[in-house]
Amino acid sequence: MPLYECNEHQFVENIRRIIETSEKFLVNRRINLHDDAKYGPATLPDEEFEKYSKICARKSLKSTVFSKVPFIDDFHKRMFNQGENLHGSSNLIFPRMSIPYYKVEYSVNVWGSTYFFAFDALFNPGIVMEKRKGKLLGNGSLIYVLKYTPPDERILNINLPKEVMVFDVKNMIKVIDYSSNF
Amino acid sequence: MRHKQQLKSISVFVSLRKVEVSLSEIGFLLVGSSTIVADGKFWKKMLYINGEELISVSEEIGDAYPKDPIITICGSKNTILKVMDGVKN
Repeated sequence: MPLYECNEHQFVENIRRIIETSEKFLVNRRINLHDDAKYGPATLPDEEFEKYSKICARKSLKSTVFSKVPFIDDFHKRMFNQGENLHGSSNLIFPRMSIPYYKVEYSVNVWGSTYFFAFDALFNPGIVMEKRKGKLLGNGSLIYVLKYTPPDERILNINLPKEVMVFDVKNMIKVIDYSSNF
Repeated sequence: MRHKQQLKSISVFVSLRKVEVSLSEIGFLLVGSSTIVADGKFWKKMLYINGEELISVSEEIGDAYPKDPIITICGSKNTILKVMDGVKN
């Protein structure tokens, strides 16, 4: 069964074409949380990296990122000291500070072929100062805390007319159809 | 009376600013934005709402040239025509 990858524009336009034929069809959607160190601060474009600039610094895109101040990564329950290497330029595929994201996959089956569009939606970073206790912080010290909030669910959606049914799925299990061999 | 919703995606070679102005002129409000990664590129995805009509605008982040925001409209035929008219070069 062929699998065709589309970009957003192609996927939406393909769905529009199916709607215009009045064919009945179903769109499947899979949304999974990932925190597999796929994204780290060194590989973010400047506009996105700016959101982390209170706590870390880098010379340019893909150069090593160091912490500017001690901070707590609230999502991973981990503390970083000042000057720690958060994402090394020589090890871009293994950042020490991982950015969580939702992997969103949309697919539609037409005449035995699957057309899909996938994207990752990064969690939004928020940096606040909080009083925290701990072994290293004593009875209570003010420290920067990095908190991630998931992207707005409406942003994860592809806007589709109400007549189009979207089914959420956990996984797609590929079935091999041998019936045509007989 | 509720108009039948239609779907349209367009890719335009105009600035994001022009798209934003055009959407605001026809009553759409920005309700949220997020950073997404698709096709190996970082995009800023913004969602605009006007009643039951939804428009999302995705623009590549960074120094990419040319900039061609992708506009996905789920709304009435009239709204689709207005948006396409508003972002004409």
